[in-house]
Amino acid sequence: MKKYIAALASVALLATAPLGLGGYEISVLLMILFYVILALGLDLVTGYCGQFSFATGAFYGIGAYTAAIMNRDLGTSIWLHLPAGAIVAGSFGLMLGIPALRLTGHFLAIVTIAFQTIMYLAISQWTSFTGGQVGLSLRGTDPLRIFGIELFELGTLKSYYWMTLAVTASCVLIAWRLVNSRLGREWIAIRDDETLASAVGLNTTFGKLTAFVAYAALAGIAGVLTAHSLRGVTPDDFTIWISATVVAMMVLGGRGTFVGPIIGAILLALLPEFLGRYAEYKMVIYGVVLVVGMTFVPEGLVGRFRRSTAR
Amino acid sequence: MDLLLQYLANGIVTGSTYVLVAVGLTLIFGILGVVNFAHGEFYMIGGYAGILAINVMHLAVLPAILLVLAVAACVGLGAEVILHRPMKNRDATSSIVSSFGLAVALQNAALIVMGPQPQRLNLDASKMPLLSDLPTEIGPVFLPHQRMLIPLTTVVLIAALYVVLRYTWTGRSLRAMAQHATVARLCGVHVERVALVTFATGAALAGIAGMLMSSVFLVYPIVGNMIALKAFTVVILGGMGNVAGAAGAGILLGVIESLTSAYISNSMRDIVGFVIVIGVLLLRPNGLFGKAVERS
Repeated sequence: MKKYIAALASVALLATAPLGLGGYEISVLLMILFYVILALGLDLVTGYCGQFSFATGAFYGIGAYTAAIMNRDLGTSIWLHLPAGAIVAGSFGLMLGIPALRLTGHFLAIVTIAFQTIMYLAISQWTSFTGGQVGLSLRGTDPLRIFGIELFELGTLKSYYWMTLAVTASCVLIAWRLVNSRLGREWIAIRDDETLASAVGLNTTFGKLTAFVAYAALAGIAGVLTAHSLRGVTPDDFTIWISATVVAMMVLGGRGTFVGPIIGAILLALLPEFLGRYAEYKMVIYGVVLVVGMTFVPEGLVGRFRRSTAR
Repeated sequence: MDLLLQYLANGIVTGSTYVLVAVGLTLIFGILGVVNFAHGEFYMIGGYAGILAINVMHLAVLPAILLVLAVAACVGLGAEVILHRPMKNRDATSSIVSSFGLAVALQNAALIVMGPQPQRLNLDASKMPLLSDLPTEIGPVFLPHQRMLIPLTTVVLIAALYVVLRYTWTGRSLRAMAQHATVARLCGVHVERVALVTFATGAALAGIAGMLMSSVFLVYPIVGNMIALKAFTVVILGGMGNVAGAAGAGILLGVIESLTSAYISNSMRDIVGFVIVIGVLLLRPNGLFGKAVERS
């Protein structure tokens, strides 16, 4: 019960936040929401299902470029891009999940890094389709219309923020339902002992593939939201350093916990704002967070907190 | 035909650097079980150390090589303390995340200190004793001294490594660790020292590769990303932990890349290796020459 009240309170707080904030603060909040989706998605596949992935940036980029390319060629709006981005990124997730069936640990990590690199090379060099290094720009976001009646308009930053908050809250809810379903427990079983999981009759193939697809689809949704928020996409927004940032968020907060990656995303996304003129050091700090976190608190902040309160 | 020979020679030159980087990587994995994603950063640091030694301090080639070896070996010792020592009693996957973090930190530190612009090492290998006597044209193949230095150094270093591994006590303890860590420890192998030696050797080899390549290509803060991926490709093709396999696969990858960029398309050059490695892993999940893992 406490959990639901806390969740509702934080959504309510976030929903009323823009009323008292300026444009810059709202963009920071938007960025935090994108990272919450990314870190939570990665937690599904790495934290719960135990499969490494350093390709978050690639799926994020696939979602963003799906939105940008559909917007350019078909003139569609964000309401179609959200499901489309999730589906396209999810299909690529399935593609990456297939090698994951046979690979574990370091081999899988290498394949995901290779996938991330190939994706980056593809979007930065296939100029006729993706705009190359220059990237693509998106037209302004259309209001939501049903039968010609305008339900919700997204022209302003605040309304875009509320829409993003609603989408993020739905993603968190979906992830929460997945983790607490039979499927989520299958993921945990695969992480803890794959041989045992298949020996008691679990379909580990299905389990791993669904984890990869859920992860990729969530990253794709974050990509669509980001593309529309920035009104454009460039390849350098979707490098391996995005993947590194998201891994750092998950590790800092706590792998395999639900609130951990959310807290990690909030902390590390806010960090550059507090660094001021030292903001250029943020990637160095993320790297150090990964090393120090993995060495001294491998279970993450939330995991450490739970262990100390459990005693 | 003449062009083909030239492409083969170019492939062997780049392949030699892959060998230098990959042999260190495969040693660290084979002996310590650490998957070092920060290995490309040893290459990057070697490149910048070379620039410091030659462009700034104006050292001759041989002292410069020694300086780079020393700097890279020290970085390797530091990496051992960060990546291996605290993780010894944990499962192997812990080092994946922490070495990835170390790579990100080192790359971005280099970006702040050295700036993003690529730099060239002004190495004039044609004035080196011994080397300057060699002809730069062998039949139809043209190979400047700068490039010639790369495979020659690789052969010398790999031969030296082989002799050390085969005939010295340090080498024997390294091989013992690779075969069975617990039994090696029981027989009195000094595990801490083996770990330090392994990391220092791996880093020194990668550092030399970085220095030699920076006189032909350029060095920049994120150069290690691509090199590390190439080295992983080579290590997987050669079998994780297999030094001779890595040497063969490194040359092979260099030649394949050179032929791809010559006959197919230059933009496919960097992708072809990954395609091969994903294909190999799909068919043989333990690598081309890898042993099957024991089932629990």
